[in-house]
Amino acid sequence: MGGLIPLTVRDLKRWYRNPVSAVVGVIQPIFWIVLFGSAFDIAKFAGANTSAIFEGAPDYITYLMGGILTIIGLFTGMFSGINIIWDRRLGILQRFLMAPINRASIVFSRILSSVVRIFIQVAILFGIAFVMPNGLKIVNGISILDVVILISAVLMISFIFSSLFSIIAVRTTKMETVFGIVNLINLPLMFASYAMFPPDLMATWLSNVAKYNPVSWSSQSIRMVLIHGSLTSSEAHTVLIYMLGLLALSVFMLVMTYIVSNKEIRE
Amino acid sequence: MDNSIEIENLTKIYSGRVTAVDNVSLKIGRGMIYGLLGQNGAGKSTLIKILTGVLKSTSGTARIAGNDLNKDSLKIRRITGVVPQDLTTDGDLSGRENLKLVAELYDIPKKEAEERIEVLLKMVDLYDVRNRHASAYSGGMRKRLELVCGLVNTPEVLFLDEPTLGLDVTTRENLWSYIRSIQKEFKITIILTTHYLDEVDSLADELSIIDHGKIIISGTSEELKKSLNGDIITLKLKNDDEINKIGEFKNATEIKLMENKEIRMKVSNSDEILPVLMKYLSDNSISPESINIRKPSLDEVFIEYTGRNINAEQENKDYAKFMRAR
Ligand SMILES: Nc1ncnc2c1ncn2[C@@H]1O[C@H](COP(=O)(O)OP(=O)(O)OP(=O)(O)O)[C@@H](O)[C@H]1O
Ligand SMILES: [Mg+2]
Repeated sequence: MGGLIPLTVRDLKRWYRNPVSAVVGVIQPIFWIVLFGSAFDIAKFAGANTSAIFEGAPDYITYLMGGILTIIGLFTGMFSGINIIWDRRLGILQRFLMAPINRASIVFSRILSSVVRIFIQVAILFGIAFVMPNGLKIVNGISILDVVILISAVLMISFIFSSLFSIIAVRTTKMETVFGIVNLINLPLMFASYAMFPPDLMATWLSNVAKYNPVSWSSQSIRMVLIHGSLTSSEAHTVLIYMLGLLALSVFMLVMTYIVSNKEIRE
Repeated sequence: MDNSIEIENLTKIYSGRVTAVDNVSLKIGRGMIYGLLGQNGAGKSTLIKILTGVLKSTSGTARIAGNDLNKDSLKIRRITGVVPQDLTTDGDLSGRENLKLVAELYDIPKKEAEERIEVLLKMVDLYDVRNRHASAYSGGMRKRLELVCGLVNTPEVLFLDEPTLGLDVTTRENLWSYIRSIQKEFKITIILTTHYLDEVDSLADELSIIDHGKIIISGTSEELKKSLNGDIITLKLKNDDEINKIGEFKNATEIKLMENKEIRMKVSNSDEILPVLMKYLSDNSISPESINIRKPSLDEVFIEYTGRNINAEQENKDYAKFMRAR
């Protein structure tokens, strides 16, 4: 895909040169972990039952890690399409459309640059979660495979949602459209999932819905490898199913994005 | 003779309603500078956007250097250069970075690109500010950067959509001398839209007048001027009585009433007719506020074929556009 690398580099330059977006990108994960993880210390109420309620986690922060990592992927992904609309409004998109490149790379450069940003945020998040008092506790060790699962889950979530929003951005000229849709779906996506709370704490109908939410699949997979380290064969099976589900969805969405962006992107 | 551009029945209807380009057919020879003249909203930019692949036509097709617009878009984009009417540079990148990005998109080898970028930056006098963010350029500097972005790939076919709008005289001259030199050297074809008729008159080998999306007339500047069959005399009168009387003046080949009680008459040869007209005016006690005699010019050609002045209200609009573009 000609043009992919230069366009990605350009997108990242814009990001780190804009002090606000760069600082927000760094501070956001800190807020997530510090505010959500310790301000709402749900484990206080659970007391000795903490581990039972939170699927084996020693505390809520450790439980929450999988959810927060997933949400970082989700949010960064959802907003990656918005820059395409920016470029359209500024006229810059015209320059890319005139260039002899595969037009899908206009869209995929955005997805790729959001991947880089996600990695940076994930690294910061882990750093902070480890150093903060009463932070993340990895009790049962972590293997290379666990890290691979963790990273792929976050990436696949970001692929799914950046694709979805890129397809919207391919044609629309209004930022409001994207903001509107993001506002509409981010709460249901987060709360109708196991990102923050285990199924046992949810109304039955909600936990039934959450089962089919890819945000749950990613949160649970990351959580299991972080909490349990080496998985039992039944746990490994669950993680495998979730990961395959995420993989199927990402491949489908990325292929759709390729087709739509290649053919339909316009001024 | 090989044509660089062949347009066949091209039509563009925006969102189902506005017909911006209306069944345009046109042949443009290789190595030619071709002018497109038309008022605001005539459809010039739309036509260029279709030819450069930014927009899809509603119907019709075109061939550029032998490549079909609807089938070989990628090949066409590789050999064309565009200076669009809107700004397309990135304000968050420096002038040099903008040009480098364009060079990368066109897959120009690094070393070659660097040399060319240096030449281009010097040509438009931006070399000293090359590392400054484009958002910190003045309006004219930004436009100059835009210009050279279209030249980075040394195109075979170059589209210039009002390239000199808002530029100072020196830059305009630099640009045209550069364009003439690369045109000679590489035999590139140039399609140019502008509101400066003197530019078209001195530069374009051929031109078309476009109005409401349609090509009204095409030819060389000389041909079009000749087609007027004579000189133009315009009189500004005071009342309808005078207008009626002047309508009976026999020695004009054509008399038209324009806006604001202005009479536009065509005469075969103003040198001979003028004394006759003066006598007629005093005999009929018509005392015009002003009399203006013009030999055929592109301005006159434009008024003749569209009924309007190309630059009517233009100065204000140019300014508004220029401000917006910044
Ligand atoms: N994106 C669009 N959607 C709908 N209508 C449009 C769009 N762009 C242009 N038009 C309309 O198409 C017509 C032609 O516009 P175009 O920009 O091609 O004119 P132009 O000849 O380049 O004018 P100018 O001299 O002002 O640059 C105008 O009536 C304009 O309002
Ligand atoms: Mg225009």
